Amino acid sequence: MANKKMCLGLFTGSLDKLTAAGVILGGAAAMDMKVDIYVLLQGARAFRKDVGDDPDKLQMAENPNMKAEFLQSLKNLKVKTWVEFFKEAKEITDVKIHICGLAGKIWGGEKLDDFISIADDICGIGAYITAAQEADVNLFI
Amino acid sequence: MTSEELEKLQVTKTVDARGTACPGPLLEAKKAIGTIKPGDIMEVLSADEGTKVDIPKWCAKQGHEYLGTIEVSGYFRIFMKKH
Repeated sequence: MANKKMCLGLFTGSLDKLTAAGVILGGAAAMDMKVDIYVLLQGARAFRKDVGDDPDKLQMAENPNMKAEFLQSLKNLKVKTWVEFFKEAKEITDVKIHICGLAGKIWGGEKLDDFISIADDICGIGAYITAAQEADVNLFI
Repeated sequence: MTSEELEKLQVTKTVDARGTACPGPLLEAKKAIGTIKPGDIMEVLSADEGTKVDIPKWCAKQGHEYLGTIEVSGYFRIFMKKH
């Protein structure tokens, strides 16, 4: 049986939602799903080399005043960082991370090399829509 | 299977995922099951309440046979047979 496909539109560049996306990716990896992630607007900033896993450079989408508690709680529970989750999912299953070209430019990233190494390519919206049409599971975070 | 039957199983691989939170135990199970042979029994130890729901569903989707769970003080012992 062919592997099920997941298409994730990753708009968010916030610490809490990226962490949630990482947990979901873990589940998809355990199920051997083929995952395509399209990194849109705010997401592209988080994928910039100088941002990535640095919690000082990322905000919370909700409860912004509870970032310190959130980070401490993740640490206590030995939860991985969002980048670690994404890396682990890539090691286990077929995960491709596509950076939206426009989003990259908005945040000063023109080339693939401007983004953290887990990014696979820079693409346009057509690729996202095509993948979304073909996917068994579509998520937008 | 009853707890007594589960206790008596010849376990090929035990995965101790008690130090990890969701989705850690599931991912540990996923990695470990690749290292055993079809028909072998694997046991996952998890202190995460969600794992005892996740693993049976994961087994059903992946074609492995979920055998049962023993609840021990503070953690769960979850048994499955590789397809």
